[in-house]
Amino acid sequence: MNKPANIVLLVDDEPKIRRFLRAGFELNGFDVTEAENAADALKAATLSAPDLIILDLALPDLHGTEVLERLRSWSNVPVIILSVVASEEEKVRLLQAGADDYIVKPFGMAELLARSEAALRRYFKTATESPVIVAGPLSVDLVSRTVSLNQTQVRLTRKEYRLLHILATHVGLVVTHDHLLREIWTGNQRDNVQYLRILVRKLRQKIEADPNQPRLVITESGVGYRLQNRLQPSTAE
Amino acid sequence: MNYHPSVVEGSAKEQTGPLENDVVAAPPPGNERSLRGAFLTSALPLLLSCAGIGVVTAALLPMGQRAAANLVPIAYLIPVIFAATRWGLRPALVASIAGIAAADFFFFPPLYSFHVDDPQEVIDILLFLVISLVSSDLAARLRRETETLRQREGEIQHLYEFSRRLAACFTVSDLVAAIQDHLARTLGPDVAFFVAMPDGHFEPPELGSAPQTVRESVAAMVASARISARTIVDQPMRETWLIRAIFSQTAVHGVIAINIGRGSRETIANKTSSVEAILEEVSLTLQRLDIGKAMEDARLRLQAQLLRDAFHGTLSHELCSPLAAIKGSASVLESMPTVRADNRARMLVEAVSEEAAQLDGFIQNLLNATRVTAGGIKPRLQWADPEDIVNAAITRRAKHLSAHRVQTTFAGDLPLVHVDTSLIEEACGQLLENAAKYSPSASTIAVRVTADSGHVIVSICDQGVGIAPDEKLQLGRRSFRSPRHQASIPGSGLGFWIASTFVQANGGTIAVLSQGHGHGTTVSILLPASRPTASGQTPK
Repeated sequence: MNKPANIVLLVDDEPKIRRFLRAGFELNGFDVTEAENAADALKAATLSAPDLIILDLALPDLHGTEVLERLRSWSNVPVIILSVVASEEEKVRLLQAGADDYIVKPFGMAELLARSEAALRRYFKTATESPVIVAGPLSVDLVSRTVSLNQTQVRLTRKEYRLLHILATHVGLVVTHDHLLREIWTGNQRDNVQYLRILVRKLRQKIEADPNQPRLVITESGVGYRLQNRLQPSTAE
Repeated sequence: MNYHPSVVEGSAKEQTGPLENDVVAAPPPGNERSLRGAFLTSALPLLLSCAGIGVVTAALLPMGQRAAANLVPIAYLIPVIFAATRWGLRPALVASIAGIAAADFFFFPPLYSFHVDDPQEVIDILLFLVISLVSSDLAARLRRETETLRQREGEIQHLYEFSRRLAACFTVSDLVAAIQDHLARTLGPDVAFFVAMPDGHFEPPELGSAPQTVRESVAAMVASARISARTIVDQPMRETWLIRAIFSQTAVHGVIAINIGRGSRETIANKTSSVEAILEEVSLTLQRLDIGKAMEDARLRLQAQLLRDAFHGTLSHELCSPLAAIKGSASVLESMPTVRADNRARMLVEAVSEEAAQLDGFIQNLLNATRVTAGGIKPRLQWADPEDIVNAAITRRAKHLSAHRVQTTFAGDLPLVHVDTSLIEEACGQLLENAAKYSPSASTIAVRVTADSGHVIVSICDQGVGIAPDEKLQLGRRSFRSPRHQASIPGSGLGFWIASTFVQANGGTIAVLSQGHGHGTTVSILLPASRPTASGQTPK
């Protein structure tokens, strides 16, 4: 990276968690600041102007959700939530409240870095950057609205393209069902997750090598979908 | 007089049925001694009644014949009614005849003779006779009623005290003591309780409290296994004994033998019915004790469950945080250039990561188990693609499945399922993990998703150790682990339980099929689905 290092603010009351997060981020060229409670976190968010905030939900003085809401009242800085409980409802609520992504403890550093980078990329996306999003064999040209798989163009219906477009602009990040429904459909159809499921199935049939084992459009149970930018090796043969 | 020993079996028709019919052998009334006693108790009132007439006569005599004649009929009524209320009808009759005689002799002319001249006086005498008869009958009846009432009140008072005492009984032995005490107090000391022992025989009471006949009779009743109510007569003492089993819904607690005593058939019947009332109270109390015991058992079970859940809850939470630090730190270490360069260091770090992941799996199971029991599961139902769920489950368990070949087959155009995706994903994951755990490495785990009228069926089929029929029955139990694998394969026994609970919470069913030991296992999950989407149209 040529530009100055990104500053990440780590908010967690557990010193041991902060310690490995710091090590992990510093190893990958980030500048790190830390906060162990909500008050410090809000102060640090204004003073050190971080490019990314990693926010733990269980803070001693204020719940993480509250911190997120206060942050969002004046800042668009990417926020990734750390949580212990993997409750789908809470995940959706947090994403709707403005979190860019979440990760459930315990997690590996690689996973968090991938999400952090995705969140940063989306936040710092500039007009000068290439309008082509690449995810494995798939490339989506957001300007010409063309999709190609292994250099072969893929024909998508309007709705299928719309779906892929939204996922591509959030590449690497989770997009909630609600978000997709709102962007793709209008009126009553917005409430119907079934439409979305079927649309995703059709899209997968066109872009996945094996639609039965999707590796590009990943389902996040109960939350939404994620367009994977780094493909993981397949598990099932 | 000559008595034949008589033992009458009660018909065992109903446990609470009236026993009056059973009381047949009552000794005929009266021998010489009792006759003399009866004479003494009935002669004294007669004499006293006559004395009363004498007193009235003596009081009337000084008043002069004319004045006295007017007062006579009324004055003589006083001792008559007094006798009737005090001693009953017979003394009253004697008193009224004595009164007429005295009035005629002393006050009606001709004086000092039993002759009556004036027809008017004959009418007076007859009138007096009628009035005295009627009023003494009324008074006597009133007296009887009062006596009965007083007696009834006494019995009710006794019964009330008894039931209060029963209410304080917490064990069957308390109850036995209460019965014995109460019956001894109301009926005399002759109550014997044959306590049922756990091995089935009845422990007789200490010697002396029940005569040999009664003991034999109880023994015969127990031996015939026909526990019924019956009345027998103890021949040497000519006393009637009532024998009844004391039982609740679950067990026979003993046999009670009560000496009703002797007396007329009526007396025996009365006493029997009051004993019946007491025994009725006893059987109600026994039922209460049964319920109480059941409640106590349930309470203990609940406590154990709560304790276990609290343990799971705290344990899981306390473990989660350190584990996150371990896993995270290991993952950072893994990516460090120095560690990557050193083969040994890399292997060690990888071991830490793997073990942490396994520990995490156990903790997640504990958390899930706690979630099930604390407050139950509230599934967030939404339409989901069964393929997505199965794929997510396979991806999530990639580590566990790495030694096996996972073969997935999806039927074309599967309908969507209406479930809580995370719960079903977890259930599938648990079953996959089990399939991998209980089948040899490099064997195939086949995952098949098919559609059937209104349902989607996910079956997971392994080539593993299989399930014996007796193990199958226990599968749904929480924390069940087959003794076959307890030493060789790690696990908490929660997996299948969590899976089946989650599936059921989503309105699905889970079925296990195994040809037995060594023949592999197929677990199928049946989930509610929408109509098939063959035409690609959105299902309603």
